[in-house]
Amino acid sequence: MITTNERILSEDVLKHIYKCEKNNRRPTMESIAGVLQIKQDEASTLVSKMAAHNLLTLQGDEFHLTEAGQDYALQVIRAHRLWERYLADETGFDEAQWHVQAEQHEHHLTPDEVEALAARLGYPTHDPHGDPIPSASGQYVPHGGQPLTALEPGQYARIVHIEDEPPIVYAQLVAEGLYPDTELRLKEISTERVRFLVGDTEHRLAPIVARNISVLPLSPEEVTEQTNTERLSNLKIGETAQVVRLSPACRGPERRRFMDLGILPGTVITAEMVSPSGDPTAYLIRRSLIGLRKEQADQIHITRDVVKQ
Amino acid sequence: MLNTGQMNPPENALPNAAQNILDTANQLRWDVGGSAHEKIVEAIYTDAARIADRAVTYPNTPPRFNLDRTIDRLVTSRIWGFPLMILLFTFVFWFTIIGANYPSSFLAWLLLDNVHPLLKEGSAAIGLPWWLDGLLIDGMYLATAWVIAVMLPPMAIFFPLFTLLEDFGYLPRVAFNLDNIFKKSGAHGKQSLSMMMGFGCNAAGVVATRVIDSPRERLIAIITNNFALCNGRWPTQILIATLFIGALVPAYLGGIISALAVVGIAMLGVLLSFVVSWALSRTWLKGEASTFSLELPPYRPPRFWQTVYTSLIDRTIYVLWRAIVFALPAGVVIWLISNVMIGDASIAEHLVNFLNPIGWLLGLNGVILLAYVVAIPANEIVIPTVLMLTVMVTGASQYGAGSGVMFETGSQETMALFHAGGWTLLTAVNLMLFSLLHNPCSTTIYTIYKETGSKRWTTVAALLPLAMGFVVTFVVAQVWRLFAMMG
Repeated sequence: MITTNERILSEDVLKHIYKCEKNNRRPTMESIAGVLQIKQDEASTLVSKMAAHNLLTLQGDEFHLTEAGQDYALQVIRAHRLWERYLADETGFDEAQWHVQAEQHEHHLTPDEVEALAARLGYPTHDPHGDPIPSASGQYVPHGGQPLTALEPGQYARIVHIEDEPPIVYAQLVAEGLYPDTELRLKEISTERVRFLVGDTEHRLAPIVARNISVLPLSPEEVTEQTNTERLSNLKIGETAQVVRLSPACRGPERRRFMDLGILPGTVITAEMVSPSGDPTAYLIRRSLIGLRKEQADQIHITRDVVKQ
Repeated sequence: MLNTGQMNPPENALPNAAQNILDTANQLRWDVGGSAHEKIVEAIYTDAARIADRAVTYPNTPPRFNLDRTIDRLVTSRIWGFPLMILLFTFVFWFTIIGANYPSSFLAWLLLDNVHPLLKEGSAAIGLPWWLDGLLIDGMYLATAWVIAVMLPPMAIFFPLFTLLEDFGYLPRVAFNLDNIFKKSGAHGKQSLSMMMGFGCNAAGVVATRVIDSPRERLIAIITNNFALCNGRWPTQILIATLFIGALVPAYLGGIISALAVVGIAMLGVLLSFVVSWALSRTWLKGEASTFSLELPPYRPPRFWQTVYTSLIDRTIYVLWRAIVFALPAGVVIWLISNVMIGDASIAEHLVNFLNPIGWLLGLNGVILLAYVVAIPANEIVIPTVLMLTVMVTGASQYGAGSGVMFETGSQETMALFHAGGWTLLTAVNLMLFSLLHNPCSTTIYTIYKETGSKRWTTVAALLPLAMGFVVTFVVAQVWRLFAMMG
């Protein structure tokens, strides 16, 4: 007889071993007890029970997932990443909450609910951190990125993944406004710091933090966002510019709303007037006057180059 | 529950062709990536722009004088924006109050002073049993007539005026001007509009939140709308402030001081709606999705008669109808509890006695609490019910028209009656506070349910202000008594 609590713990064990195997680390009884925050003898009882259920094999102090165990782990990961996607796209919870809530929720979704969730979200391929979401049959394509620290100065790249653990490092990356799909250009890399440009903003990170960002190098022709872009909020009253792209930080309902309003690459926008209280600002977009708050105008990247001529 | 290790399709797999299509679709999802939606929208806009360029022509030179922008510069200017707004809304409220006076007193004269006695005579002539006569005429008819007489005229003036401003295109500019303040409390600038509508009627205010398209901000606006002191509560505030607060100062200051007290209560409501918005957006509503956009449509001359007609039908009649539907049973309940006797006292007297200790704790009394329970359909009938119940429990039967018959009377008689009921300045202050901070009327609660479709949010919207009212009146009463003891 397996209790709910045991099921949750064993699902966490499966995930842990699966991630260790992916990252070429060796799971140990200590690491399991540590991740689950239980005593070691409790962990070993749990692991033997799981072995009895044919989810993993025990050889001395080495664990390996059986095929059934791997499938199970992938289903839990699928539920986790779908739930994160849901939180990011359809709710107002902030980044720091996604992972925490998904850690709870992944254990309480039935396979039918996971399927319904995937359908509702339009079968997304990636979670908001850039991790691929395994399909119902457990298949996925890894993001294939390399650590940011492996780039050469001057190289362009696109962020494909941001590691959400440990939470402190992730919080720092979120605070910097870095998201999957952000394009960047590396300026400097040394043992003390990594310096790179996103649009007109320069970021400086410690290498140990920068290592949690995975990127795909881009050739200069593939880059959509050159360095001469700026934010819509910089536009002064009466000035006109053209949209380059919507920031990857802008997601879910907000992004859909922008697209519904016709704010897309190439759209010409003029700043018309400011509220007497300083915010929001009204912009002329496709012949309609739309008020946007400063934080929103920050999400729209523009260039003045094309309009000048 | 687990698919044990078999990556290949299970036995009950789809026919090959269908499976191929699904596989292709799956593969495409990976190839296209997450931005497929964006690319499609972009393509739609590109197509639409191409078609529009071919089909629509614009005048070659844009007009030198752009009327819309000129008005916009004025109504959103740093210097004129806010004064203009205050001026305009002061006018709307002033016009509503002044303009509603005459039709209201006419309706009261007609429905309460003339039709009611006529109906009584009629029922006596045909020999209706006393209980049926009381139930139908003193209960149902009187409660409904009261609601119509007090509610209809201000709404019939306020709503069309408001709708005209909306139709002209001015209201979105108000939201634009005020958004920064609302943003700080986690709300949407358009909440200023539903709040102003709430000063007319909370049920209409709740419906007006439809203009807010972001789910979180809309819920905030719905839940906090009750803090806008509605038309049905102004008369209570004015009456109590005049009788108790105005009486504290020399007569020549009485008017201005009691007016300030009422405005103070309304301002307290506005302040609380900001505080509660702020708290809600950071707690219960944290998880609701939130976006912002504010369309500022072009100005256009209002279609006067059409606007007046639709606002009368959509807002006034709609709200009035719901109020009537709820007032009818309330009239029955008020009459029944006053006339059905248990032992030697009516149900109402038993209830008042039961509620008195709680009322004392809150600096109120059992009569007021019972009135708020039975008058849940409309705030307009709270004072008439209070008066009727006070007559009943004090036995001051020289006033009023008998058990279960609501009435209003001159200010001196009212004051004498309140004194007989043991009212003090504390009772008056706490009644004013409780009138601001209690559950919305049943019409509003029902509207909140219709708008949110959620029992949970309806409960929150109904109980939150009530809980706040209990806490505030309790604290005021205890502090007041502490000072009274020391003084």
